[in-house]
Amino acid sequence: MKKRPLILDGATGTELQKRGMPAGVCPELWCIDHPEVIGGVHADYARAGCDIVYTCTFGANRFKLIQYGETDARSVNHRLALIAKEALRGKALIAGDIGPTGHFIQPFGEVDFEEAVEVFKEQAAGLLEGGVDCFVIETMMDIQEARAALIAVKETCDLFTMVTMTFERDGRTLNGTDPLTALTTLQALGADAVGCNCSTGPDDMARFIGAMKPYAKIPLIAKPNAGLPKTAGGRTVYDMDADEFASRAGALVAAGAGILGGCCGTTPQHLAALRKAVARKKPASPLRKSLAALSSARKTLLLEPGRPLAVIGESINPTGRKALQEDLREGKTALACQMARDQEAAGAALLDVNVGVPGIDQEKAMQKLVQALSVATALPLVIDSAKAEPIERALRVYPGRALINSISGEKEKLRKLLPVAAKYGAMFILLPLTDKGIPETAEKRAVVVRAIEGQARKLGFTRDDFLVDGIVMTAASNPKAPQETIRTVRWATETFGARTVVGLSNVSFGMPERKWINTSFLAMAAASGLTAAIANPASEELMFVKKAADVLGGRDRDAAAWIAHCAKAAGGGKKGAPIEDLPPDRKVREALLDGNREAVAGLVGEALKAGLDAAKLAQEIMIPAIVEVGERFGRKEYFLPQLIASGETMKIGMEVLEPFLKEGLKTAGERGTILVATVKGDIHDIGKNIVALMLRNHGYQVVDLGKDVAAERIVREIERHRPRVVGLSALMTTTKTQMKAVIALARKQGEQCPFIVGGAVVTKAYADSIGAEYARDGVEAVQVIQRMVR
Amino acid sequence: MDRLITFERITIEPPLEAIYRRLGYRKGLTQIKSDEARALGESIEQARSLITLKGAARRLPILSKDSRQIRLPGNLCLESTLLAALLANSQEVLLMGATTGAAVIEAIRQYTAADNLTRAVVLDAAASEMVDSALDWMEAFFSRDLRRESRRLTKSRFSCGYGDLALENQKLFHDLLDLGRFGVELTGQYILVPEKSVTAVAGIETTG
Repeated sequence: MKKRPLILDGATGTELQKRGMPAGVCPELWCIDHPEVIGGVHADYARAGCDIVYTCTFGANRFKLIQYGETDARSVNHRLALIAKEALRGKALIAGDIGPTGHFIQPFGEVDFEEAVEVFKEQAAGLLEGGVDCFVIETMMDIQEARAALIAVKETCDLFTMVTMTFERDGRTLNGTDPLTALTTLQALGADAVGCNCSTGPDDMARFIGAMKPYAKIPLIAKPNAGLPKTAGGRTVYDMDADEFASRAGALVAAGAGILGGCCGTTPQHLAALRKAVARKKPASPLRKSLAALSSARKTLLLEPGRPLAVIGESINPTGRKALQEDLREGKTALACQMARDQEAAGAALLDVNVGVPGIDQEKAMQKLVQALSVATALPLVIDSAKAEPIERALRVYPGRALINSISGEKEKLRKLLPVAAKYGAMFILLPLTDKGIPETAEKRAVVVRAIEGQARKLGFTRDDFLVDGIVMTAASNPKAPQETIRTVRWATETFGARTVVGLSNVSFGMPERKWINTSFLAMAAASGLTAAIANPASEELMFVKKAADVLGGRDRDAAAWIAHCAKAAGGGKKGAPIEDLPPDRKVREALLDGNREAVAGLVGEALKAGLDAAKLAQEIMIPAIVEVGERFGRKEYFLPQLIASGETMKIGMEVLEPFLKEGLKTAGERGTILVATVKGDIHDIGKNIVALMLRNHGYQVVDLGKDVAAERIVREIERHRPRVVGLSALMTTTKTQMKAVIALARKQGEQCPFIVGGAVVTKAYADSIGAEYARDGVEAVQVIQRMVR
Repeated sequence: MDRLITFERITIEPPLEAIYRRLGYRKGLTQIKSDEARALGESIEQARSLITLKGAARRLPILSKDSRQIRLPGNLCLESTLLAALLANSQEVLLMGATTGAAVIEAIRQYTAADNLTRAVVLDAAASEMVDSALDWMEAFFSRDLRRESRRLTKSRFSCGYGDLALENQKLFHDLLDLGRFGVELTGQYILVPEKSVTAVAGIETTG
């Protein structure tokens, strides 16, 4: 790779089909029966100049082979590796190919994580016995499955292992992982090269490689299809010939790929052309030796200098939280997941997870909670435990790169946790205390930091892989303690060159009005270069100070996050104030047209105070305004949310107006009663609710019977309310027939009231057939009913 | 092939265009002010946070078929001339089911009760489109594997209650896909509850 990119092979499946493999067979088993054919494909790729050729074992895992009645996955892999070895005879290296199982792994699917690891270990063992030179885990769309496969290979041998994910054109895997997140997770977990294959052609793939390159400490792989798949004459074809495919190689190398190959639709000719095209292109070396970043399955948080201070949400900790303790005891995760969502919405960047309830199996509880949180939130997790076992369990099953809270200089912790952190590539919070206790001064803490770092270096860690904990002590018991924390943070940032973190709220313990102490301390620490704070993101004061500190510390470019935060805090989603210089009646009209529910009550009151007649306001301003809304909806100038917002605004306005209307002029119910119901068996009633709102705003008294209403009840209510019209709704073909039953029963019992029907599956023809009127939406329902009652 | 595959979390972005279209938005005609667009965006974000898309799928061989019936293992049969036509070249079927979960339905109910039908309608539209997108997602998931097997899915899929495929077949889907594991129940009228739950069948054809 120092002189030119390494070349991987191209497509195997399409080559096998060209050479006689019938559709619908298991390619791996067919190749065992036809070793000369797959051997020919391997040899052709070697002749084309490929440096590494994949074994034909993409689907040779237990889950897939069993579908064809084969149960000995290890033997299948072994034999196919031997076939590759025999065909290549040292002319190219052999990569043991591991593809997806076709199932999703917990927490995203039903397959137990350890079962998946075992399935991949079985495959890896067979390939290793067959003599492969390296491994490739490819076409992964689930980061958790990629992790399971990588762990399996790493626990089987120490051969060079590549992992390639499949991204859709939107830049994410089907399971929502973006290229940077895949890289962050997989390179931390020990992949020797990471990249992408399949799914897209070379053009899109250059984008994905480009997104990874600035953060890669390992070589990047691009193995694109020969363009995008198209169907022609019943076959799937790819639109790039060998020359066109090769012409895109330069862009891939420029984007940062150091290992190239071809996927679906490519042939030995494509690979020969590719090899020729990059013969003199020197790939760029990885830009980094280390990366300070954490990831979930869907998101990466870079802890680079100049990035905003990260708030680590502290709520998921049972200490002092009885409800959470109870949930964890009962094996429930719902409350913790809600806490996660709330903290995410409040602006947390990471979530601390602690299951320290006495008497429970913390290892089991931690696994369950981490898996649930991996689904509930996109934020990366901080695994917080005083014990090593729950941390190890969490790191194994967590589909991202987590942060350990924490590893101290205590001998037992160092011995147990450093190797675990190294194995799973986790970052950790370095807590500068020892078996002798907490050093009081920053200088003494620095000595401990350096000692722990020395141990960590032996396992491959760098200063980018941990955050130094400033150790926050209570100001109430030691007035000098906060200063020592700040000095520790400053030393770690400016002298030592590491990231820093503090557990904020401890500083104010025992003090009144703690939030002010906490926020002031945060501002001081932020000014000293603090990277992250474990704190409560629900504290408005704290989040304002954090955002302000980001601006003042040059960590919020153009103050964009600050401005957005202020807009949100000011209720940016609410309607603006109406134009001040309009007369009061026009303001009411504008509020109705704008659907300004917040303002309309005040504006109607203001209009009445200004001397406007209530009846006139209703008849000449409000009703015409709501009619105009309906007309705008009919012309498609308004869509449904605007129509309904105006309808709800009208309702609020009329409620204010109603007491001021003289008897006889009241609009509510003046046009008579309409009875509405969603018929028996049907639970879809939002359309009926819209119709009810529209009718009320047009002066009808609406009796809404709700959904799933039996014919007998509807007829009883007709008898009771004597409505001028009955409206029925249904969404399903099966429940539509209930409309007919209701009308038939009503007629049988002598009720002659007219019916109007509507709903997704109801048509005018159907309405005609059952003797009812029809309306397609709320606005039309009002028009039709007005005609019916005239 | 006959193994149930479940997806505990389907991660997709809310399909904004489809949600807007469902709400009646017409490009070039409908005018939305910036505060309305912002409020709509917030509602859709809320829907996203309330929705946990889960799904299940199952590949089954077609044992036999004619112009009216598709016979599946376990003495199961789907009767529909339209479905039979769709599956004319298929050797297998892919049954799929997905649900948004109950939280968004409860939120819709609460907003409706609290006279905030505007938000309820947007949540409803977002949930409908997201659960439909979950089926698209599952099709994309299986299509990749099928391409490597020289197979593909039929261009369209079919749901119970449409055309002449009776809604009663929903029971077959509900049972085979074990939708109960996601808390999805079937009413006596063969309606899936929570209501933003869907099932569909697509055919698997051999290419080339």
